[in-house]
Amino acid sequence: MRASLAAIAAAGLAFAVPAAPPAAHPDLSGFWGPMRQQHPVDAALMAKLPPNTAVLDDSGVAEFPQGEYGGLKLKPAALAEARKWKPEDEMTVARTCAAPSIVYAIQGPFPFEVYQTPQVIVFRYEYFDQVRIIFTDGRPHLPANAPHTKVGDSIGHWEGDELVVDTTHLAPATITNNGLNHSAGLHMVERYKLSPDRKRLMATEWFEDPAVLDNNGARYIQWTAQPGNHVAGYDCDPSFALNYQQGK
Amino acid sequence: MTRTWVFAVAIAGSFAATAAGAHHSFAAFFDPTKSVTVKGTVTAFAFTNPHGLIAIDVPKPGGAVEHWRAETNAPVILERRGWARDTLKAGDVVTLRGWASRDGKPYIRLVQANRADGSVIGVPFDSSDK
Repeated sequence: MRASLAAIAAAGLAFAVPAAPPAAHPDLSGFWGPMRQQHPVDAALMAKLPPNTAVLDDSGVAEFPQGEYGGLKLKPAALAEARKWKPEDEMTVARTCAAPSIVYAIQGPFPFEVYQTPQVIVFRYEYFDQVRIIFTDGRPHLPANAPHTKVGDSIGHWEGDELVVDTTHLAPATITNNGLNHSAGLHMVERYKLSPDRKRLMATEWFEDPAVLDNNGARYIQWTAQPGNHVAGYDCDPSFALNYQQGK
Repeated sequence: MTRTWVFAVAIAGSFAATAAGAHHSFAAFFDPTKSVTVKGTVTAFAFTNPHGLIAIDVPKPGGAVEHWRAETNAPVILERRGWARDTLKAGDVVTLRGWASRDGKPYIRLVQANRADGSVIGVPFDSSDK
């Protein structure tokens, strides 16, 4: 009887005392446009990058020329493959609209939109119409044998004011847009946070791929808030490649 | 802890202001140190991804015609620089200045376009991106 009363009292208490509201997280929602300047970087974010990491300074408009991999240490087989690459290989109807994975895509000079809920956060990119669903409901990654895609499988959590996104299941694609490709085993971790004035979104993208690299890679990326703007469709037209091929 | 900053060669000079994150690598395709200028008549203008494209016929001495193409930034970047899908039409006479294709093809990356009256179309691509 005493136990029953205690249970009833506890139940009553549960009704009488509202559950504590979920911890308030920063709201990253909105349109984020690319910034021409990636410097200066956020030192606190950079300090959280793991050891043995080369930070590639090709975010935004810059790109590495042929043979430059930004400090990444390629395994011999990966280097041999990268050296076979020729720029004109990409200018074909079959290749020109082949989307890169988000390892390369998110740093480009294109905007994206964020839609945020407590359970999922959606990143909608203009570049190649890519969409990511980042689960923040505590679920684990997909089983290892699940399909790999160019956007992969992303789960996220908050560490203070930072959104931490862990991504696996990425289909092999370029890292530096010049012949260096990652494997299906690449693992990526991104950290996002707002600037104090909330006008910039800052991030680090870190990745490891032991099948391809002897060290790890990272980029620093930042975007500027542009309220009222929206992402346009990309709708890539592969016939673009024919114009190059027809040049004589 | 080892963290190495390696600066992209591509960042130097005006190149950084114009490479548009092409799916094909700008740095591998074009030589930003070689400028090419051609004048001719527009035969086509594509306002599409992954890049816009202007095709022009360039008259040569003796009646010959060279078919040149100028690749532009992606439409979203063109729009920010004052271009629209109807900015050019077949028959327009234009002068196009751009960076040379490394393989020597009549194919350039557009820096600036002028109409027949000399007026500049939009904001040139070697200017600061506003």
